[in-house]
Amino acid sequence: MINRTTTVALAAAVAAAALMSSGANAQTANADKEKCYGVSMAGKNDCAATGSNSCAGTSKADYDAKAWKYVAKGSCAKMEVTLKDGKKRMGTLAPM
Amino acid sequence: MTADRLLRAGAGLKPEHQRHILEARPDVGWFEVHAENYMGAGGPPHHFLERVRALYPLSVHGVGLSIGSANGMAPGHLGRLKSVVDRYQPFIVSEHLAWSTHEGTFLNDLLPLPYTEATLSLVARHVDEAQTVLGSRILIENPSTYLRFDGEEMPETDFLRALARRSGCGLLLDVNNVVVSAANHGFDPRAYLDCFPHEHVGEIHLAGHAVLESDGDALYVDTHDRTISTEVWSLFRDVIARRGVSPTLIEWDSDVPAWLDLEAEVHQAQSILQTAGGLDARAA
Amino acid sequence: MPAQPDGNGLADLQHRFAHAVLQAPLEVPDGIRHDVRPTRERRFGVYRNNVKASLAAALAARFPVVERLVGEEFFTAMALVFIEQHPPRSPVLAEYGAAFASFLEEFDPAADLPYLPDIARLEWSRYVAFHSADASAADIGRLAELPPEALGSVRLGLHPAMAVIASPWPIVSVWSTNTHDATPEAPAADWTGETALVTRPHLDVLVQRLPPGADLLVAELAQGIALGAAADAASRAHDGFDLATALATLFGAGAITTLSQGSSS
Repeated sequence: MINRTTTVALAAAVAAAALMSSGANAQTANADKEKCYGVSMAGKNDCAATGSNSCAGTSKADYDAKAWKYVAKGSCAKMEVTLKDGKKRMGTLAPM
Repeated sequence: MTADRLLRAGAGLKPEHQRHILEARPDVGWFEVHAENYMGAGGPPHHFLERVRALYPLSVHGVGLSIGSANGMAPGHLGRLKSVVDRYQPFIVSEHLAWSTHEGTFLNDLLPLPYTEATLSLVARHVDEAQTVLGSRILIENPSTYLRFDGEEMPETDFLRALARRSGCGLLLDVNNVVVSAANHGFDPRAYLDCFPHEHVGEIHLAGHAVLESDGDALYVDTHDRTISTEVWSLFRDVIARRGVSPTLIEWDSDVPAWLDLEAEVHQAQSILQTAGGLDARAA
Repeated sequence: MPAQPDGNGLADLQHRFAHAVLQAPLEVPDGIRHDVRPTRERRFGVYRNNVKASLAAALAARFPVVERLVGEEFFTAMALVFIEQHPPRSPVLAEYGAAFASFLEEFDPAADLPYLPDIARLEWSRYVAFHSADASAADIGRLAELPPEALGSVRLGLHPAMAVIASPWPIVSVWSTNTHDATPEAPAADWTGETALVTRPHLDVLVQRLPPGADLLVAELAQGIALGAAADAASRAHDGFDLATALATLFGAGAITTLSQGSSS
């Protein structure tokens, strides 16, 4: 059962939502445009071999968490992160 | 128009080029796609392929059926391939003499098979099953290989001839794969092509390869990431002159160039098809 | 390896070959000719490299922000661990990577970046949206035209490409700055949680922030709950829930495809 108050509130919300949508084109605002139409997201099934013969086949991926030799060096290291304790840190972010 | 176009040269359809192709409608005979890249429910892949298909003939090239798997082809995959074929009505459907699925794990490469009587019966059975489900003849491509096995019983050309006779399939002759395998296993590509059962060929592939040198030894790798080598062009010219024309594809799958560079290779293949007998075949 | 269906060694050979391709230490399986140079290690290495490098490249293509956050070297090494533990189960590579986000949760070397799994979820949702079924988005005008008394019982059908990722981390901000900006900037000062809405009304995949509580509304709608009851549930569960903003965002992003009336069944 829907009471009258809810019906009025619903109608007001829908009317307000329609107004908000008619203003800016919400579809393009704050949205990612895949300009190249999915070159990067296209399927990757291929019948070609990979050119470099030095990547995975020869690099040892024997994973030992303690001896993991790779350090994250990407953009996470450039983002200045403020934790809840107010301290600023560069790069890594300890779990809260 | 069909007979005309189908004896022409075509190009692999890449996402980088599809918008340009729809706008410019370049003068190439046809396009080829990898079936597995069109097995999703919808989105841009199907959007663009439908529009390209409306303008050009299409060939569907499967890369994941695993026709050489001892434990059966990739589960459920033939049905998916059939959906792509039914939807896009290609003039050629092809797959590889290779395996890639083992116990449900997909190893994303075209892995080599030992050429034995037992492998031949297995592959012939799978090709027959595929042709029955798809309701049409398929072409099987000669692979590029990097190693050979102990105890093989016949050369690749005999294997392919027997496979075509037994299963009724056609063959896709990849000239670049011949050059790659010949270099890797030390045989003469012209001798291979002399033994090849050309009467079953329904399509030809041309592509670029890399040469990896190490410790004084070279391995050729089938990379599809550069222009076609002089040797491949020369062998292609011979095959066309001596054996007649087949629809010919330029494959370029990584480090994809600007469309005009790819189109130039298509036109080069086209001119070879025309001068070496293509005109006669088209007039017939 | 159990029975050999063909009475030959092919099944055995493929079993050995498949394991040797995937495992980390290079060990050439038996049965490969070794009387010709280059060595069989180099020959077999081409296949190992093809399999692993192509899968790592596929993962990098669908998780570009994760790759940017940790760097190429870290990403490739991490991808190789993932590939070894979770090799593809389907020859359709578009389906590969669904398990990557949960793999990251358990991957200790990345534990310093606790938002990484949710970034991976967002990127995976974009990828799935790209390949998902097509449907026409409904205009909010159709909802506004309904008589007020019909609004409570209307059911809103969700677009098949739509996904919602609620996170305790500012994933939309982190994703956005690493997608669009040459130099990424830290998001909001206090790193508050954000909920991402992923849609694909036509060809473009869209990402935006969902306002507070709107994910609860979506969860109700997804179960076929009518708009009135769904809005009630979202309001009760979240103080800051605003139905107008939620509807404007959802319709504006093309998340709603159908409006239907009728008893729930």
